[in-house]
Amino acid sequence: MNHDEAAKLLGPYRDGELDLATCLKLEEHLAGCPSCQQKLVAEQELVELISAETPRFKASPFLKTRIQAALREEKSSPMETSWWKHFSPTWAFSGLAIAVAVIVILAAGLFSTQRIPELDQEAVANHVRSLQVNHLMDVASTDQHTVKPWFAGKLDYSPQVVDLGPSGYPLIGGRLDVLGQRNVAAIIYQRRKHYINLFIWPSGPSALHDHLYNQNGYHVVGWAKSGMNYLAVSELGEKELKEFVGMIQDQTLDSRPGE
Amino acid sequence: MRNGIYIVEQYRDAGENLSQPNFEQVFLPHLDAAYNLARWLLRNDQDAEDAVQEAYMRAHKAFARFRGGDGKAWFMTILRNVCYTMIKKLRSQETPEPFDEEIHQTVGESEMQEAFRQKANAESLHVALEKLPEEFREIIVLHDLEGLAYKEIATVVGIPIGTVMSRLARARGRLRAEIVAAKAKESLS
Repeated sequence: MNHDEAAKLLGPYRDGELDLATCLKLEEHLAGCPSCQQKLVAEQELVELISAETPRFKASPFLKTRIQAALREEKSSPMETSWWKHFSPTWAFSGLAIAVAVIVILAAGLFSTQRIPELDQEAVANHVRSLQVNHLMDVASTDQHTVKPWFAGKLDYSPQVVDLGPSGYPLIGGRLDVLGQRNVAAIIYQRRKHYINLFIWPSGPSALHDHLYNQNGYHVVGWAKSGMNYLAVSELGEKELKEFVGMIQDQTLDSRPGE
Repeated sequence: MRNGIYIVEQYRDAGENLSQPNFEQVFLPHLDAAYNLARWLLRNDQDAEDAVQEAYMRAHKAFARFRGGDGKAWFMTILRNVCYTMIKKLRSQETPEPFDEEIHQTVGESEMQEAFRQKANAESLHVALEKLPEEFREIIVLHDLEGLAYKEIATVVGIPIGTVMSRLARARGRLRAEIVAAKAKESLS
């Protein structure tokens, strides 16, 4: 192997991309060529530097949530274009009637079953975003009597704010957020290094079912009580989040007569 | 919990056989690699996120045609196409900085190596890599950051392995030269 050939193969040699025969020939040349040896060292240094020092951009958790939501939307309307092409014109009318009926049934089904996961996904996205863009709180306070009045004038209802500090879930603040196209109160609690967003809004005619929803390690617990809907979202373990929810449910009952 | 919580199961595709890997299981693990390439090619967060999402949508539509094998290379090929389509659209709005031949040629080989050692750090590397033309930038990201093999890169970029080899060599050469040129400019000013 001559020098020019060898010099061209130093990169692939470093990258482990040469076959054994070429490898051996190159090593033979390398042994007697200080110039190639030096170049190989330089190549090695450069690549090491690139992989050590160049930032590897990481996708935000919110992007993942966004993609999963978009994929789910895609899945719920698959194969729209292919099946109806097989209908002959005479079938078109009855086909249309059937389609309308199916859509009506699906729509009815959507309203009863799809609403909750969508809201849950949105709540997870809100939770992630609140941690990400450094906008966890609009009002930072561990005092429920500071957080509750803060919402007055910003919302058309007054959320109950309870402090669970003594139980290991201190209240740390509140924030205005948007969920299901309406303004909602987000009350923030802390558990060690984790945060819980508790979303509260009037349930009106669409009270939440009690439910648990999991997505990528985030948990959402939803329920309705005394005319209010509650969604608690956190990356905390399911067990702890349920414990938290249990305490919130107890406290909202207890404090109501005194309000 | 006394209120009888029920579980809404997430990743179950209604029509899909559970023994077959589903789309998200196969492709979501490549999210970071995809985002990294998109971010380096498009050079801003928003465009990179849009490109990655678009790539997932396209891949999902084409999933029926995926016959197993190297899912990462398959997906990165789609992502790369999306990125280049976006770059074409964005191209008209920006003016690329020309490769300054004068500065790059005034430095001798050994000086270059020395300057390179002193100068290279995370910031200069970042700047230098951003300055490279996309064809060089992408090959460095794919190989030196994402660890794709030459063969995979050949698939993603759509070029023969021999070209991967020579292009990567040129890309590394240019990157080295950019770092040194940055140093030279600094000492001139």
